[in-house]
Amino acid sequence: MLDLLNAWFISPFDYGFMRRAVVGGLALSLAAPPLGVFLVLRGMSLIGDAMAHAILPGVALGFLLAGFSLPIMSIGGVLFGLMVALLAGAVSKMGGQREDAAMASFFIISLAAGVMLISLGGSSVDLTHVLFGSILAINSTALLLIAGISTLIVVTLAVVFRALVVECLDPLFLRGQSRRSGWVHSVFLGLLVLNLTAGFQTLGTLMAVGLMMLPATSARFWSKRLEGLIGIAIVLAMVASTGGLLLSFHLDIPSGPSIILLAGFGYLFSALFGRYHSLAAKLRRKTTPLAVEPGS
Amino acid sequence: MSQRSLSRLQLHNLHLAQARRTVLEHLEGDFKPGAITALIGANGAGKSTLIQAIMGELRPISGEVVCTVAKERRAWLPQQLALDLTFPMSVEELVMTGSWPSHGALTGYCAAHYRKGREIMARLGISHLAHRPLGELSGGQRQRALIGRTLMQEAELLLLDEPFANVDSETVDILIRILRQMADEGATIIVVLHDMDHLRRLADEVLMLNGGHGRWVAPSALTHQQAPAQVVPFTMGGRHAGSA
Repeated sequence: MLDLLNAWFISPFDYGFMRRAVVGGLALSLAAPPLGVFLVLRGMSLIGDAMAHAILPGVALGFLLAGFSLPIMSIGGVLFGLMVALLAGAVSKMGGQREDAAMASFFIISLAAGVMLISLGGSSVDLTHVLFGSILAINSTALLLIAGISTLIVVTLAVVFRALVVECLDPLFLRGQSRRSGWVHSVFLGLLVLNLTAGFQTLGTLMAVGLMMLPATSARFWSKRLEGLIGIAIVLAMVASTGGLLLSFHLDIPSGPSIILLAGFGYLFSALFGRYHSLAAKLRRKTTPLAVEPGS
Repeated sequence: MSQRSLSRLQLHNLHLAQARRTVLEHLEGDFKPGAITALIGANGAGKSTLIQAIMGELRPISGEVVCTVAKERRAWLPQQLALDLTFPMSVEELVMTGSWPSHGALTGYCAAHYRKGREIMARLGISHLAHRPLGELSGGQRQRALIGRTLMQEAELLLLDEPFANVDSETVDILIRILRQMADEGATIIVVLHDMDHLRRLADEVLMLNGGHGRWVAPSALTHQQAPAQVVPFTMGGRHAGSA
């Protein structure tokens, strides 16, 4: 039994690439889910997806200029992501168009531009790598970058946490209180871009969103409190990224999809058996006795 | 007008438009501290437009809004709440957010803040709901929690857009009492009202908007007998109808 446990859970980490992969995955699992929780709460779940596409041309340009260098590709991704976010914000402000409509237009342009750039300068193997990542190929530089970005995200979130909560809950209240309330939204979008850039190396641009959104949407079935949502989402993401890595190691399947599919399994499980709003919760729902409530 | 210099909020020859259509013009106003002003008028008369202008959300075409109240001491409870009721937050947490603008984004709450929050909830009769999620409140309970936030904020200028719509009578009584207390402590309060009964109980002054112009009238002028002729447009509007 112990041997089996050892063979499954311990010995894979004798390999350096697995150790780096698991540390990178855990770092991402700490930073991405809180952002996802806020996206879900703001009704912006698909914005993460849009932003993930938006960073692609930047990554591709970095790749064309410097080859497969993660720092350069990341810088390109961050710059391009921020540019698209700013442009989408500007278009929505001037045209009365909603931000998600502008974002949807820009992200599809970005995706096409990115794919075009990579195809012009590289091979289909490079394209696959950028689109789907490869967590098992993380080197020490990449790991430092991922850990650094994750730390920055967690610290920044802690600093702006209350403003972010008030902005989600009641944007009008925040706007009434502060002339500079717009920065909260910008900082949040900036963190989103940073996180996706950190994620693209391990999971690819398309699937980096998965580790952000799936744990967050799953957590909604388990908690009604913000702290609970964030905590549960982080735990789910950590389990999914570590479990997915191990599955990918033992079954010889691609790491990115197995991590996200495991998180997706967590989502389906939560939707079926979670504490709140799940199928099981609906079936076992019993009425509570009438509480005496003055002034209701 | 001898108190003019004391007033915290003045409107000078204000001209307001929405989507390039003039809504109000030549509007003069003087809102004194400690006074509750009722804002009345038919749907589309410009009540919400005026409130937007006072809150600085709408730039006047000409004229000006002079407001000496600090931004973090202004509170606005719109009729169409921007409040996200699915947000996982309890009544106590909502009330506590009122202290956030004045004491900063980075520092945590201290015991004194929590004590004040509990006192406020007790005044509003919502202590037993402190840990209830916002989404599970009735309209009246929610309105009390929101007023609790403005109390926490120590608001000096309070604008309410039909605060008594869809609210139970007990909440109306409590809110009228609390608003009067806030005014007695020096707050300037402006309330959009549709109901003559509420107006009689609450208003010290009345600003009536009609046909793009504002007219200041004494609440006593809007007595039962006179009311129909002058007030028909807004009583007919129905208290649940939206206002522009």
